[in-house]
Amino acid sequence: MLKRWRARRGRILAVKWGYNPNSSSLGVDVTFLLFGAIAIALMTPLIAVFVRARRSARDATPKG
Amino acid sequence: MGVGLGTRWRAWRRARRARRTFGAPRGFRAERFGGIVQTETPRALVFVDRAYARRLGHDGGALWDGPEPAATDDGGNIISAHHLSAPLEAHLQLTNRCDAGCTGCYTGATPQGGPAEWGRDEWLRAVDALADRGVLHLALGGGESAVLPWLGDIVRHARARGLVPNLTTSGLTHVDELCELAPLFGQINVSLDGVGEIYARVRGFDGFARVDAAVQRLRASTPHVGVNTVVTRVNYDHLEDVFRYCRTRGLSEIELLRFKPSGRGAGVFAELTCSDAQHRGILPLALRLARRYRRRVRMDCSYTPMVAHHRPGARLMQWLAIYGCAGGDLLIGAKAHGKVSACSFAAPPAAGPDVVGLGDYWDRPEAFGAFRSWREAAEPCSSCEVHDLCRGGCRVVSAHVSGSLAAPDPECPRVIDWRAAHPASAPAPGEISTRRRLPVLAH
Repeated sequence: MLKRWRARRGRILAVKWGYNPNSSSLGVDVTFLLFGAIAIALMTPLIAVFVRARRSARDATPKG
Repeated sequence: MGVGLGTRWRAWRRARRARRTFGAPRGFRAERFGGIVQTETPRALVFVDRAYARRLGHDGGALWDGPEPAATDDGGNIISAHHLSAPLEAHLQLTNRCDAGCTGCYTGATPQGGPAEWGRDEWLRAVDALADRGVLHLALGGGESAVLPWLGDIVRHARARGLVPNLTTSGLTHVDELCELAPLFGQINVSLDGVGEIYARVRGFDGFARVDAAVQRLRASTPHVGVNTVVTRVNYDHLEDVFRYCRTRGLSEIELLRFKPSGRGAGVFAELTCSDAQHRGILPLALRLARRYRRRVRMDCSYTPMVAHHRPGARLMQWLAIYGCAGGDLLIGAKAHGKVSACSFAAPPAAGPDVVGLGDYWDRPEAFGAFRSWREAAEPCSSCEVHDLCRGGCRVVSAHVSGSLAAPDPECPRVIDWRAAHPASAPAPGEISTRRRLPVLAH
C-alpha cells in the first residue's frame, strides 16, 4: 500500500545544490555528506516545500 | 580583514536586482525518468520522477511515451538508465588566451590564444542552440575569458535565454569589467591553488596578492564568489590555509579539483598528481575543513572514486547527484573554436559537431564514444556497487595513464586495491572490499 501511495505521489530522486562555475568538470556539493543519510530525511521534505512554493508562485502569476 | 555586513547586503541587493532584470531561469526540463526542476531559492536542480512532475503540473511529452525507468527502494539509480535529454551544463572555453602561463594549465593557454577561435556572434548563436536544447547552466572559462570585450554580451544573452551563466577566472586581469558583470553570474570562482607562497609554487609565478585584491573586489560586487583549488601533492597539506582564507574573505564555497593530465598538465602529471594516500584522505580532510571553517565544499566529478571509497552509500550519493565521469551526458565542453567535446579535458570526437550542431548529434548512438559506453566496463568496475554513479572514474586520467579511455580510473582506491590483490588482473566477482568507512559518517 505504501508503495502504491508513493508511486502515486512521486519521488524526489536527487538534488544537485548550487551552481558549478568550474568550466572544466562537474563540481558537486559534498558538504551534506557530513550528515550522512540524515541529510536525505531532513532535506527532502524541505526541498519539496520550495519546489511546491515555486509552482504556487508560477500559478499565481497572471498570464498574458 | 573580512567583508563587512553593509558590503555583503549591498552586493546581495545588486545581484538580486540584476537577475530580476532578466527574469527567472528555465524552471523545468522533462527527462525520461521524470524531470528536473530548477529552484533559485535554494539554488538547486531537483530531479523528480514522472508522478512528482505531473503533480507539479508538468508534461514530459514524447519523452514520457516509453516506459518509466524502474525505481527501486534501495536507491537504484534510474537517472543513469539513459543519457539525459541534454546536458545540465555546458562548459564554454570562450578563448584560449591567457597571459598567466601556469605550469599545469589544462588547456595549455597562451597569450596568443588558439587557432580559429570563435568570436562574439558565433558564441551568441551557441547560447541560442544550448538554450533551445534545454541546457540549464553555463560555465564560462578559458584561457581567461575576462579579456574578451564581448563577455558581457554573452552573459546577458544567456540570462535572457533562461540560462544561468557562471564563471571561472584567474582574477589576474580585467577585474573592473568583471566587477560590473558580477551580479549577473550565478557563481564566480577564482582559481586559487594556495595562499601566499604555495600559490607561487603550484602556479609557477607569484600572483597571490593580485588574486587576493580581485577576490575582495568581486566579493563586494556579488555574494556568490568562491574559489577553485586544484589539489596537487604540493598544496594538499596546505588546504586548510585556503579554507581559512575563504572564511576571512567571506567566500561562499571551495571547489576542489583533481589534477588532470591535460594541456601543460600532461607533462607534469606524474610530478603533481596526489599520492594514493592523499587521494584516500581527501574527502575526510575536505569535510573536516568544511565543518571547521563553516564553508560549503564541492568536489569535481573526477573525485567520485575517492568519495565512493568511504562508502557514503549509493542512495546518498545518488541523492546528492554525485556522479563520476559525467562527460557527454550531464555536461559537455566546447573548445575555443566551437567544437563540442565530452568534457573540457577531452579532445572533440572525430566528426563531432560544433556547439550549434549539438542538437543533431546528442542522441546519435555513437555520440561521445567511450564516454557513453561506461556500462560495458570490465572488473573491478563492473562489480562495484556504485558503478552506475561513478561510471569508472575520470576517463581523461585513464587515457593518459592506461592508454585507453575505457580503462578503469588507475587512481581509484578500489582499482588499486583490486590490482594489488589480483596481480594477473583476473576478474574477481564478489571480491572483499577493503574500503574504509568515512570517520565523520561513522559517528
